[in-house]
Amino acid sequence: MQFQFTPEQEAFRAEVRAWMARHVPKKPLVTLECREGFDQHVVWEKALASGNWGMVTWPREYGGRALDLIQWLIFEEEYFAAGGPNRANQNGIFLLGPTIMEFGSDEQKARFLPPMAAGDVIWAQAWSEPGAGSDMAAIRSTAIRDGDHYVINGQKTWSSRAAFADWGFGIFRTDPASSRHKGLTFILFDLNTPGITRRPIRQLHGETGFAELFFDDVRVPVENCLAGEGQGWNVAMATAGFERGLMLRSPGRFQATAKRLVELYRANADKTSPAAREAVVNAWMRAQAYTYNTYMVAAKIMAGGKIGAEASLNKIFWSELDRDMHRTAMQILGAYAELKHFDDGSVNQWLEGYIFAHSGPIYAGSNEVQRNITAERLLGLPRVGAG
Amino acid sequence: MDFRFSEDSLLLASSVREYLTDTHGVDVLRRLDAEGPYDTAIWQGLVDMGLAGLLIPECDGGLGRSLPEAALIAVECGRACLAEPLVDVAFVTVPFLLAKGETGQIADYAAGRLAQPLAHQINPYVVQKADTPIASVDPLRQLAAAGGGASDDPHLLNLGALMAAAQLVGIAEAMLDQAVEYAKIRQQFGQPIGAFQAIKHQLANCAVAIEFARPVLWRAAGALDDGLASAPIHVSHAKLAAGDAAILTAETAHQVHGAMGYTYEVDLHFWMKRAWALQGYWGSRAFHYNRIDSAILGGSHPIGADASFA
Repeated sequence: MQFQFTPEQEAFRAEVRAWMARHVPKKPLVTLECREGFDQHVVWEKALASGNWGMVTWPREYGGRALDLIQWLIFEEEYFAAGGPNRANQNGIFLLGPTIMEFGSDEQKARFLPPMAAGDVIWAQAWSEPGAGSDMAAIRSTAIRDGDHYVINGQKTWSSRAAFADWGFGIFRTDPASSRHKGLTFILFDLNTPGITRRPIRQLHGETGFAELFFDDVRVPVENCLAGEGQGWNVAMATAGFERGLMLRSPGRFQATAKRLVELYRANADKTSPAAREAVVNAWMRAQAYTYNTYMVAAKIMAGGKIGAEASLNKIFWSELDRDMHRTAMQILGAYAELKHFDDGSVNQWLEGYIFAHSGPIYAGSNEVQRNITAERLLGLPRVGAG
Repeated sequence: MDFRFSEDSLLLASSVREYLTDTHGVDVLRRLDAEGPYDTAIWQGLVDMGLAGLLIPECDGGLGRSLPEAALIAVECGRACLAEPLVDVAFVTVPFLLAKGETGQIADYAAGRLAQPLAHQINPYVVQKADTPIASVDPLRQLAAAGGGASDDPHLLNLGALMAAAQLVGIAEAMLDQAVEYAKIRQQFGQPIGAFQAIKHQLANCAVAIEFARPVLWRAAGALDDGLASAPIHVSHAKLAAGDAAILTAETAHQVHGAMGYTYEVDLHFWMKRAWALQGYWGSRAFHYNRIDSAILGGSHPIGADASFA
């Protein structure tokens, strides 16, 4: 057990810090969830790519830096400490990229990974359907083989980034006689293919980052299928594992929020309450606990271990921490909390963050599902409906 | 940066765990409850494993281990609801004496001939054998008045709080295990109650609290071992996280046991009462909260994404 960073790690930290200090936009970008903001965030992705800071955990051959997990954590800490913007490329970096690396053919890797790394192609995910949310195996959209194409029909919803992204990925039922986890296939598709209709969904904040996707006889070449027909569920589970596990939310984000919360408290200390004060101190403690836990998991994985159902504990912890921190900020702000355009953006950041924090306990598997997984797979309680 | 225990440390802890599982089961707790909590045979067994001298250098007859390893074993002592004063003597008093250079009686401690914990002013009493003990809610804790001469040294307090936190983690894990086992066998409405999400989600909340208390404990043990100036903050953080996890798990486990949990017959109460006792021993929740509050809001401790291990 060793809690000091090596000189090499400290040097790497200094390198990230220096680059971020020069390049992170001084003025916060417009939200990613509208056309103007999305375009600003794509420009930022290209800036990151130009410094080779876009896909730092990826192997060098695909445009990454092949960072180990400790270096990645350092990178993320410096990224958030510098106020780095949200990543338009999130789905590519942590979801689709690693999935293609694990399951894709050499040709698919060469075709899809470099433009993803360069920020030239932004990816949307297309998991959920109106009848398949927490219960993803209830998927009904079909992709029926017709010669060297699949013909896709059906509907996806809550597709993040889909309002403005270039390509999408999801699982579809290739065997119409199948049910549940069988007969599903993981397919990548150009969002501009004829027959795809995007209907942007206006979200809680009034903007339109995610969308419904309607597929009406959409022809997709069979070479866009990943890992073979019928393998969709396994591939999707591996993808969800990446997402829920270590990489979706690194601790730096929450430490940065906790620090802003402490600063907000200090600036308003005379107008607040002992309960708010304790909530602020709690935020720091929980962000630190999340940090230590992540470093522990990283050390375990680097030593050859795996992350399993513990990922569910993580997801519950950070999503509820994030919501609690933003709620505390809203309470400290009092009547100012409701103002949409109050100042240079620092108050508005709390409001936007509070709205977004409501999605955390829902996306990537609702926290109710995570608690079931925890109870059944970690604690060994009987499955729901058993008995 | 390598936030994990060595195989060797984990092996040592698991051998202690096996030993206590085999020799210090609930039948022993019941016997100690009836006959009195101190048992020279149990103490001697711990001494024979070398645990009395765990933190004493090898050249002085000890095992020369570190505070994080002692914390790892203190977790096992909590899990076993150990009544013998091993933690307060060997993992608190001994490292304090070593740190102060007061090594005159170290050989006696290493050999287990001395089993007297030092008193500290943060505690109004001391846990030790007494002819007329002050009654504790915990039937396996004998308390005596601290008397004069109780230390006010912060290092002793930090060691005590760290090791109380470690025991609280083990106690919480033991209570969660008991509640899970009960939820698997207790049938109502034609199924085990553990199949109901109302039960599952409460127990999952305990698992979350324990999962995120453990790394805080290891961080605190490391910081105190390394002599960091910030160690008191980490120790207080560990005491809060472990205490809160233990109390949440105690209340939840009690709820899961239903009316049975309110009986003396169900084992849970031994651990629950130890959790109540340790939650306030070596500094109350308010004491530890205030130490963190003043360091974080007062600005003496660096915070933020680039201060993970400050």
